[in-house]
Formats: sequence, C-alpha cells, structure tokens
Amino acid sequence: MPNPSEKTKNDDKDTELIRSINDGRQDLFYELVNRYEKSLYNFGLRMCDNPSDAEDMVQDTFLNVFKYLEGFRYETKFRNWLYRVATSACLKKKRRSKYAPDRELSLDEFLPANESDVSVELPRWASQPLDQVLDGELAGVIRQALLDLPEKYRLVVVLRDVEGFTTQETAEILDLTPTNIKVRLHRARLFLREALKSYYEAD
Amino acid sequence: MKQTDPHRCHENCLVLFERLSEYIDRELDAPTCKDIEAHIKACKPCQVCLETLKQTVALCRNLERRQVPDTFSLKLKSAIFDLVDKKAD
Ligand SMILES: [Zn+2]
Repeated sequence: MPNPSEKTKNDDKDTELIRSINDGRQDLFYELVNRYEKSLYNFGLRMCDNPSDAEDMVQDTFLNVFKYLEGFRYETKFRNWLYRVATSACLKKKRRSKYAPDRELSLDEFLPANESDVSVELPRWASQPLDQVLDGELAGVIRQALLDLPEKYRLVVVLRDVEGFTTQETAEILDLTPTNIKVRLHRARLFLREALKSYYEAD
Repeated sequence: MKQTDPHRCHENCLVLFERLSEYIDRELDAPTCKDIEAHIKACKPCQVCLETLKQTVALCRNLERRQVPDTFSLKLKSAIFDLVDKKAD
C-alpha cells in the first residue's frame, strides 16, 4: 500500500492503477491499454501517414510502457509520460518511411505578399459554426495539411491543439522550452490556416 | 491608432500577427491583450486574420476520433499477453 503521507503531485486515477500493476497485478495492464489505446491510435493517425504505421507506433509504445513502468515516477502525470514514449516511437518510425520534408517555417511566408492579398472579408469556412463546417471535406483538408507539415511543427500542433496538452506539458514531452513551443505552434497554425484558405479560395 | 497613418497601422498589424496564437491561448498579460483588442476593433484585416486562425485551432480541437480497429486491438492485447506471461514465469 502506498504511504498515505506520501505527497504526489498528480494523484490521478492512473496512479492508483499503476501502483497496483507495479505491486504485481500485471493483468491490470490491460486496463491501462483500454484507457489509452484509442487516444494513442488517433495520435498515431495524425502523426503518421498511414494506419499501419499508427498501429505499429501504438504497439511499440505500449510494449515500452510495459517494460519501463516500474521506473515510472509518480510525480509525473501518466498521460504526459505515455505521450513522451509515444513521441519517441513516432520519431523512430519516421526514419523508416517517407514524410513531409524537414524545413523551417518562417513567419514571413505567411504574411500577405501585397496589399491586394489582404482579406477584409471573413471566408465562409471561418464564419460558420463548427458543427456546420466540420464535415468530411473540411476535416479531410485539415488532416492532410497536418501531414504536410514538417514533423517538428506537426508534433507541436498535434500535442497542443489536437491532444489538448498545455504549453508547459508539451515542452516537457518534447524536451523543449515553452517559448520554443509557442513559436512552433504559431507557425504550424499559420501553415494550417494557409492550407484551408487556399483550398477554399481555389473553387 | 489613426486610420490616416497607414505605415504605423501596418507596423502594429505585424506586431499583432506575431502574437495572435498567444492571444488566442490567453498567454499574454492584460495590457498586451487590451492593446490587441483595441487594434483589432479598428483593423478589419487583423480581425479576419484572428478569426480565421481561431477557426483553424477550433477545427484541430474538434477533429473526429476514429475507433481502434478490432483486429489491431486483439493483436495488441495478445502481444501484451505474451509479455505478461513471460514476466510471470
Ligand atoms: Zn491590423
């Protein structure tokens, strides 16, 4: 039994489960898998360009988690640690498949080239309520745009905006500074917006 | 900011452009937010810029999640079963 006076910063529902697993109830590991397989699988789909890579990533992640769970430090949130493991599984996978080329995105490339490119009217895709625009088509455009992002930007925007981690958490998961996260996030969002704009302006 | 000073307006637009994400994420201090809000009220292009970026973020936050394929879920659990089994020995 854990010492009740022991102070844990994140005594969430996972902590209890992990303590049990580490105390010998390894059969409970399935419960951990049940909690996170869907979220990891979808993370994989956003990060990799095909479902079978996403599946490999999820499997590698859980096998590593199983292997290293005894070393889990209870002051960290399990979910954050899990995504740290998943991120390195993604990066390993990437070297074996083809991806959007690595390049730096600069703010300048997202500025309107000249006065006439400045839009003063809100486009339709941005002015309607989400449930009306988030149909198959728009979701498809954004999913493809995510895959077109250079990986270091994709990771940040997927963790922050798709998975909902905070700036601080994302910084910890990726071993970067919060400032760095903010810079990459902003450029990634501008890239995605550009993709949406050009898709709808093309019609 | 006066409408009659286009150069200054443009400069403010650039400053704002750099900080829009932090503004959306509420990561800026109150005075900076106030400046941004004042500028946006007066500048239509920046309004459009903010709204389209906000919508982009909202779309990411609301992407639909797919179910894990059953075949994969079973495969995953059987891989884990092997490990649990090995460790139990
Ligand atoms: Zn402006």
